Amino acid sequence: MSAMPSNDKRPSPDLTRESLSRRDFLALSTRLLLAIGGLVGLGELTRFLSFTPDPAPPESYDLSPADQYAVGSSTIISQARAVLLHTADGFSALSLVCPHLGCTLKPGPGGYACPCHGSSFDAKGHLKNGPANKPMQALRIEQTPDNRLILHTGK
Amino acid sequence: MKLATVFASAAMLVALVASWIIQDRQPKPVALTPTFTGQVEYCLTCHADLAQISTSHPVETFGCVSCHGGERLALDADLAHSTMRGGANPSDLAAVEESCGGADCHNGLAQDHRDHIQRVQTSLQTTYAGAIAQMRYTFGAQADLAAHYGVQAVETQEKTNPNTPDALLAFDPSKETAPGILKFAENCLTCHLEAEPLPGAQTYRFTGCAACHTPTPGGDPEQIVHRLTTAIPYTQCNTCHNRGNYDLRSMTFQTRSDLATDRLHDYYQPIAQFTRCEYTLDCVDCHTRQEAMGDGNIYSKKKDIQYIQCKTCHGTLAELPKTTTITDPNDLALRQAFLNPVIDLKVGDTILVTDKDEPLWNIRQLPDGAYEMIGKATGQRFTFRPVKGTACQQKVDQQESRYCHECHAVQR
Repeated sequence: MSAMPSNDKRPSPDLTRESLSRRDFLALSTRLLLAIGGLVGLGELTRFLSFTPDPAPPESYDLSPADQYAVGSSTIISQARAVLLHTADGFSALSLVCPHLGCTLKPGPGGYACPCHGSSFDAKGHLKNGPANKPMQALRIEQTPDNRLILHTGK
Repeated sequence: MKLATVFASAAMLVALVASWIIQDRQPKPVALTPTFTGQVEYCLTCHADLAQISTSHPVETFGCVSCHGGERLALDADLAHSTMRGGANPSDLAAVEESCGGADCHNGLAQDHRDHIQRVQTSLQTTYAGAIAQMRYTFGAQADLAAHYGVQAVETQEKTNPNTPDALLAFDPSKETAPGILKFAENCLTCHLEAEPLPGAQTYRFTGCAACHTPTPGGDPEQIVHRLTTAIPYTQCNTCHNRGNYDLRSMTFQTRSDLATDRLHDYYQPIAQFTRCEYTLDCVDCHTRQEAMGDGNIYSKKKDIQYIQCKTCHGTLAELPKTTTITDPNDLALRQAFLNPVIDLKVGDTILVTDKDEPLWNIRQLPDGAYEMIGKATGQRFTFRPVKGTACQQKVDQQESRYCHECHAVQR
């Protein structure tokens, strides 16, 4: 028995529209927006927490090996703003930070001079003329058993 | 209610995305930790292209904040600039103590020759005390010509002249009654270091230290110059001292209407005569820093502090100019020459000094008895001989510069 043709002229029901009420649509939208917002917020939080400030400058520098510095030499260690001296008495180091206001001293004839304000120092760091009123700061040099030189710039 | 929740969620998402975009557009922070402060600052994030202000103030040593103030960690321009001192000019006298002062800097001890701020604040260029005293005396508001008032109240901390006052009161025009004084107060108080300049390129300058030490080429206020120098050209002095004159009948300022075609005619005094030095050299070649910046005493008139005469350099028929031979490597002359290295001054050199023993460090005696002067702003070398031994017919009792002008001034 064949099915009787339907006389119902109404359009076929929209199953989607029928199954997603206005209330459900709003709830779904809210969840979707909150989810995306949460992801974006999480991303921002991650970016914020992953910020790493520039590291503080190191307070010790490995200058090894010691035998690369000849007796009588003075070597500028630019990154440490220091000069390494090797005399018959051994190794020593002076800070190239001017004790006046902190400019970087430049080596010159017979010692070091401040390019900012004109203070000058002899080759051993003793004050020759101001406006600085202190000698160059001596830095600590450590010589390890395996003949490595470690320059300490910290106080 | 549900609809409101959707809108709230959408608004939150929009805000988060906007925040992300804004953060993403922020420049990558450029950190600097100046030796002087040891505190990180992020000013170079935006200002990396700014020229170094002077060799004495390298940014690696002093950074920006020690002079300018501001929020050193802020990346937002408005926030970063919100606490700056003196706006774009930290040397403005309202901010200078905090910006340029300090015992290590320009508030140094008098014996170190670094007490600039106190001396400037008591100088006539700041107090305007002479003009105020003259006007109050002229119109009967005070019985003498001594300074009692300055543009601002000030006390001296370095008084060496017992004949000068210890302090000045603030000049208050509201307490004056004479119309002449009121007109003066209205029109004339722009002539001091704390006042904003008159409008126009010819008179444009900064206030405070920068009024002299930050020359403004072309006088364009839009072209802010990040520069401090002791090589100060005469054109910078002209921004105050050559801009016109006051008509004493109308008590109004008359700006110059003439356009000078050469240096000789580029002076406002229509009747004054000038010698070659005056229209060839820069003002700072002869006038000393005590004359320009004060000596710590509060004076009542310009003549009390402006003391350089022709004879200071040229001597007289009877005497050679005063000299000194540099023996101390800490000599002030060497320090001044270091800051403006137009001359290779060294220990053993003989230089001229003034009657007050201020070094004229740019004028050195030569082996043949002549002298060489190096222009502080131009580096130009001039040589000259002393008056002694010449055919000059100057009378012994006529040693002031005005007598020199009788013969040596050029007809304009």
